[in-house]
Amino acid sequence: MTCDDVRTRLLDYQRGRLPLPTQAEVRTHLDACADCGRAEAVEQELTSVLEHRLPQYPASLALKRRLAAEWPARAVERSWWSRWRPALVPSLAVASVLLMVPPILYYERATSRAASERASLVGEAVNDHLRVLSSQHPLDIESGGLHQVKPWFEGRLDFAPVVAFEGDAEFPLRGGAVGYFRDRKAAVFVYARRLHPISLLVFRAEGLAWPTRELTRIGSVEAYTTAERGFNVIMWRTRELGYALVSDVDARDLRQLAARMAGGQ
Amino acid sequence: MSPVANEGLAYVDALHNLARYLTGNQTDAEDLVQETYARALRAEHQFTPGTNLKAWLFRILRNTFLSLYRRQRHDPTVGGLDTVEADAQGAGIESWLLGDIELDRLRKVVGEEIEAALMTLSEEARTVVLLDLEGLTEVEVADIAGCAVGTVKSRLARARAALRQKLKDYAR
Ligand SMILES: [Zn+2]
Repeated sequence: MTCDDVRTRLLDYQRGRLPLPTQAEVRTHLDACADCGRAEAVEQELTSVLEHRLPQYPASLALKRRLAAEWPARAVERSWWSRWRPALVPSLAVASVLLMVPPILYYERATSRAASERASLVGEAVNDHLRVLSSQHPLDIESGGLHQVKPWFEGRLDFAPVVAFEGDAEFPLRGGAVGYFRDRKAAVFVYARRLHPISLLVFRAEGLAWPTRELTRIGSVEAYTTAERGFNVIMWRTRELGYALVSDVDARDLRQLAARMAGGQ
Repeated sequence: MSPVANEGLAYVDALHNLARYLTGNQTDAEDLVQETYARALRAEHQFTPGTNLKAWLFRILRNTFLSLYRRQRHDPTVGGLDTVEADAQGAGIESWLLGDIELDRLRKVVGEEIEAALMTLSEEARTVVLLDLEGLTEVEVADIAGCAVGTVKSRLARARAALRQKLKDYAR
């Protein structure tokens, strides 16, 4: 292999795109030829400059919000099931040898229903958060502190929202509003992380198909964490109340807030 | 449910990054991304499940860019790339010296310089460089750019040589 042959293949070599024997030939040449070795180092450095130092322009939060608000809501349906299916099918195939077919179909249908129920809970939480974001007057009560917001809900809800977190410098409480979660009323507490609003929805948990798998412990609760249409979502329940925390802040920040909320419960 | 509606939004940052480098400003980039998603939803039945959704979205973005933006403005850099020759690649003392100097120089390049260098390239050259960074295969890049795989290879090589040349020029 000549130097020219090697130079024209350098990028393919670095990307591992060459057939194995050619890859080895280039390697051998590079070990022996200082010039080509240097050329390879220059190419590699250029790649590294592009990968690490070229400024990146991720979409702005405003654009993400606009897109999410316009995105078809039906996108929420089934997304859980389609993610589950690959893992589930092999075990079902094995099981079908041992069991009769009808129970399996039943199991599949039941699992599918549970998954889509759960997806729709998450979708509902994101929709509620989007309603808060897109509303001209998202807050029915501006926050003067939790001691003002909580009593304000009295008489406006058919339950007492149990929320102990007052807000702090990192996650100030902005206010509250009455919203809906599915068929029931919800207390919406709006916190913030820098410029990002965070909705905490509190509602009666009764009668909702709550996630029972893939839960992680946050504070004193078993929480279900996921992401939907660009928003991070953390859901948990206490005996009677369901909680959904939704925001475009990153998952770690949202978890921190959830820990502050769930710690005292 | 189509994969487009399910997972399409996951690629918004990568799409916006390419849009920003194609249009050169944030307003146009955001419009381009929004229009890309609108077109993607209208065409979602044309997406083949199991193929690369990200590549499919990139292709729509590029076509949208060509149809909406390119005609609107004069692009001074189109065609500029082909006039840039790759470095002399002969052996000998000069080239190893140059090689060491270039390597040293590249190690000190800052973000603004590499961005400025990239923006002097033609849209096609910028596109192949950025798509290559996104980890797409040459076949996928060829599909997005609407050209042969061999063309992608040579465009990428020329674009990278041009970048090196620009970065060298800044050093003077
Ligand atoms: Zn050589």
